[in-house]
Amino acid sequence: MTALVSGWGVLSAAGESVTELLAAVRAGTVVGVDVGDRFDEPLPTAQAPAIADFDVRRLLGRKGTSFLDRATALAMVACGRALADGGLTPDDDNRHRVGVVLGTTTGSLKSTMDFSRETLVQDKPYLVNPVLFPNTVMNCASGQAAIRYGLRGVNATVAGGPLAFLYALRYALNALRRGYVDALLVGGVEEYTPNTAWAAELTGAGPAGEAAAVYLLRRPTPGLTGAPRAQVLAVATGFQPEQGVDGLTGCVRRALATAKVRPPDVWAVASGDLDADSLSEVLPAAAQRLSVRPALGDCQSATGALALGVLLGRYAEDPAARGRPALIVGRSRDGAVAAAVVRG
Amino acid sequence: MHRVVVTGLGPVSGIGIGVNEFTDGLRSGRSAAAPITSFDASGFPHHFAGEVPAFRPEALLRRLRVDEWGRSALFAAAAARLAAMDAGLSLPATDPARVGAVVGTTSGESTVVEQLTAELVAGGYPAMSAEALRQAPAERLSYAVSAELGLAGESVTLTTACSASNYAIGYAYDLLCWGEADVMLAGGADSVCRWAHAGFYRLGALTERACRPFDRDRSGILTGEGGAALVLETLEHAQDRGARIYAEVLGYGVNCDAHHMVAPNEESVAACMRLAQANAGVKPEDIDYISTHGTGTPANDLCEARAIRAVFGDRVPPVSSIKSMLGHTMGAASGFGAIATTLGIRHGFLPPTINWANPDPELSWIDPVPNTARPATVRVAQNNGFAFGGNNAITIFGAIR
Repeated sequence: MTALVSGWGVLSAAGESVTELLAAVRAGTVVGVDVGDRFDEPLPTAQAPAIADFDVRRLLGRKGTSFLDRATALAMVACGRALADGGLTPDDDNRHRVGVVLGTTTGSLKSTMDFSRETLVQDKPYLVNPVLFPNTVMNCASGQAAIRYGLRGVNATVAGGPLAFLYALRYALNALRRGYVDALLVGGVEEYTPNTAWAAELTGAGPAGEAAAVYLLRRPTPGLTGAPRAQVLAVATGFQPEQGVDGLTGCVRRALATAKVRPPDVWAVASGDLDADSLSEVLPAAAQRLSVRPALGDCQSATGALALGVLLGRYAEDPAARGRPALIVGRSRDGAVAAAVVRG
Repeated sequence: MHRVVVTGLGPVSGIGIGVNEFTDGLRSGRSAAAPITSFDASGFPHHFAGEVPAFRPEALLRRLRVDEWGRSALFAAAAARLAAMDAGLSLPATDPARVGAVVGTTSGESTVVEQLTAELVAGGYPAMSAEALRQAPAERLSYAVSAELGLAGESVTLTTACSASNYAIGYAYDLLCWGEADVMLAGGADSVCRWAHAGFYRLGALTERACRPFDRDRSGILTGEGGAALVLETLEHAQDRGARIYAEVLGYGVNCDAHHMVAPNEESVAACMRLAQANAGVKPEDIDYISTHGTGTPANDLCEARAIRAVFGDRVPPVSSIKSMLGHTMGAASGFGAIATTLGIRHGFLPPTINWANPDPELSWIDPVPNTARPATVRVAQNNGFAFGGNNAITIFGAIR
């Protein structure tokens, strides 16, 4: 079965719309935002592809927001925008049929390491602030988003780093197909902190980026009003560490077969990193390759979610592209692969 | 729609490693509680936990290089290896793409993150080791299982905190039902760590030496650790290869409190039980036993008991909490619950709630199977899992018919 993408909430260094996101990806040069005075701790670079001017109190109010970490706050804002954009107002009739599925890497690495650090540097190892303890669990963002918007349906957090959004999409398709829920907020979020900045720097994955991208997915049911922005036709995943890029090629073939899409009909493919030859065995040379990372940095679990945003931006600007299938793909350094087929 | 059965069990726990030791531990009411050895706990007022000091990953794993993976990934992979051996699975599978792994966790590679924190405190951010940074992502738990067993199918880690194993079992069940896989390794893993110990202590949720769920004087959890894995497969696949079948997975339910990050919610927990029972096609009166979330905190056990009463009315089956024996193994907890439930169905016994001394007058309808395992015919059993974030997940198992 398929799902309808009926709303989006996208925040990135490029701005707060898929149009700006697409423009940045097209330009292909890293979006530099001044981060030098954002933290007391030193950073590897004074500029980074981080979200500028994110004011959680302005966006979410003062109540209940003072202890939120940045990843959680970003996810909550993106979820709210996706709900609003999709025209879904949670109420007592529908809230148990609406849920949240978010991708992650390690949750908020900063929240966890700050909490852990207190056990080392305080006079007593237990002198941590218990109010901050929930921020150390990786389902913090999805749990807080559910509280904020009153969503009692399926609520899950799916780890997968660069593939997390595609895993979340597949998890969501299953929950919709099985009829557990009627609508899901599905996305990926990563915060920019000294922890992620240095982690990316030290592992050669840098520069670290920052983004929150969440989509409202609905079951295609009669009576739904409003044109969807796109459809998700299929998601395939696998674990093939020994096969190199061939593993991804096979995964793409499986996703296309499930979606009943012929490979020559694929019009665009979006991912973290792609070059003109990527997937050339299976996809036409003319298919556009859209890479998120050169402009937005390493956004880990938000990477795939940004890739969907880029495709939505393309569909919106180009009427000739409507109805043509596109792919979102990813491969992790451990050898996991995933591919999603969408159609705008 | 395919029927889904349990054919292999892989517990790596403080009361036993491997299905025989673990079964013996459940039957005899063994306790994993002991002074903490995995970190220096001398500064903590409470310093007991349910660790797995006998865990020797190199003795259990055949393919993984132990130094390339964090402790939680090693728990997950070792549990999966034991489960695959118990199931008699021939690996690599004829079609590896039809075999996958779903692993649940609360804190992922918490001891790796703690190592990074120690490096940071000692030498600043640039002192963090690149190798530890590469081991830290939580998705490495399921990748460890897939790499150890040579699985090419879906490999995903669900980080829904302390109900995560039930999420994993439920998702694997769906993939099998729907014909997207033939066999799935499902379960969870977590490691005892300093920050969680501190966090639970400061929440006032940590007990001193003994976890005593449903007791009048219960005072909290013991942190615990381990890896729990189940081999789930379609009934046809199990029958075709002549596998021994422990039990059938009848269904599951998940929902979200959307109420509070830490405090449980009675109404929502009851709703989750109803969802799981409807999904499994069973009624409350069909259920012979409940493996509870049963953390041993005053709040959880009261909330859970009330929700059970709301759903089961005057016919509340016996319940027990294996956390009394294992401690709270976090993301692995409902995986151990699933294993215990499956063993109870297969062998006809109810695991006990140990350390139980005094009935709680507020929970008069609860029979916690106190202290001693009990022979019983278990046709259908319910396995509860709740979590921070309000992530409730409940699985239902039944005797194979």
